[in-house]
Amino acid sequence: MDTTDPLATLVPAARGGDSSAWDAIVDRFLPLVGAIIRRHRLSEADGDDVSQTVWLRLVEHLDALREPDALPGWIRTTTRNECLRVIAARGRVRPVDPQEGAGLDAVAPDASDTDLLAAERRQALREALLELPAARRELLLLLMADPPVPYEVISERLGIPIGSIGPTRARALDQLRRTSALRGLRDAGPDPVGGAR
Amino acid sequence: MTEWNDEELMAELTAAVEEETAVSDRRRAAARAAFTWRTVDAELAELLHDSALDAGAAVRSGPGDAGGPRMLSFRRSAVTLEVEVDGDEVLGEVVEDGGSETGPATVTLQRPGADDRTVETNASGFFRFSDVGPGSVRFVVSRAGWSLTTPWATI
Repeated sequence: MDTTDPLATLVPAARGGDSSAWDAIVDRFLPLVGAIIRRHRLSEADGDDVSQTVWLRLVEHLDALREPDALPGWIRTTTRNECLRVIAARGRVRPVDPQEGAGLDAVAPDASDTDLLAAERRQALREALLELPAARRELLLLLMADPPVPYEVISERLGIPIGSIGPTRARALDQLRRTSALRGLRDAGPDPVGGAR
Repeated sequence: MTEWNDEELMAELTAAVEEETAVSDRRRAAARAAFTWRTVDAELAELLHDSALDAGAAVRSGPGDAGGPRMLSFRRSAVTLEVEVDGDEVLGEVVEDGGSETGPATVTLQRPGADDRTVETNASGFFRFSDVGPGSVRFVVSRAGWSLTTPWATI
């Protein structure tokens, strides 16, 4: 079983106890769950917890899921609800009083603001990468690989002459700077890069 | 961001992609492991109410309401389980409609990657778990003749 099998095959197989079918369902929908969690701006730990709960709930929901094609909608709704529940629960357990913000505790929110900006910037970079044409995205990912992928291999895999890799990278990065994801980040407020204006 | 030169941009991009890979690897492992919790015969209770789902709960953290514990109730046939999550303390009550003296119920707190914790209710049906950190959780309640398993929730 793999992610290309239709849900009409994967769901009944998982219901029957086939763990490879389950793994395929996970691989297929993990990015969807992750994207919804990111949109709700949870902390990484809360995001892990929500993700965990969604998959546990799907395990218990498999028997009730008679229409396999309803699965994406179920995952979307369940993830969104779980995010909202966690946001509400955290809001109540750790209430924020704006009037106390200027007191001794003022340092902590500042630190988390910095973290948040850095997280937003990294998220914008990932979204920007998805806006690039597939070939350019692929080139950048290969150039980021650790351990490094030799230029000969990149050249062969992407059909780009070795001498063009450098210039193509420069063009890809320029295009990345012009993506709506990175432009949106600049328009959003104080420059997250800081101090360079 | 335009101020970054190509090398700086590549470094930031690499960090962003690595972060995503680490998160998804971790979540994938947990999601795959969730399958081991599959039980075909669990008597699943229904979530009746979760105060965290009340309309406006997320924005209503004004004075007087902020800091209130989260209340969840579950029900299956004649049994109701009330759970109150207050910080890392979980208090609960098992109520059986028209229940006669059938002795204490057993309540088990289950979490992925942790040992089950089991307590008995007192004569009034109350129970308590301490040191319950955030994460996925469910409860299994049993008494002679019946058992109830709650849906998973994030606390």
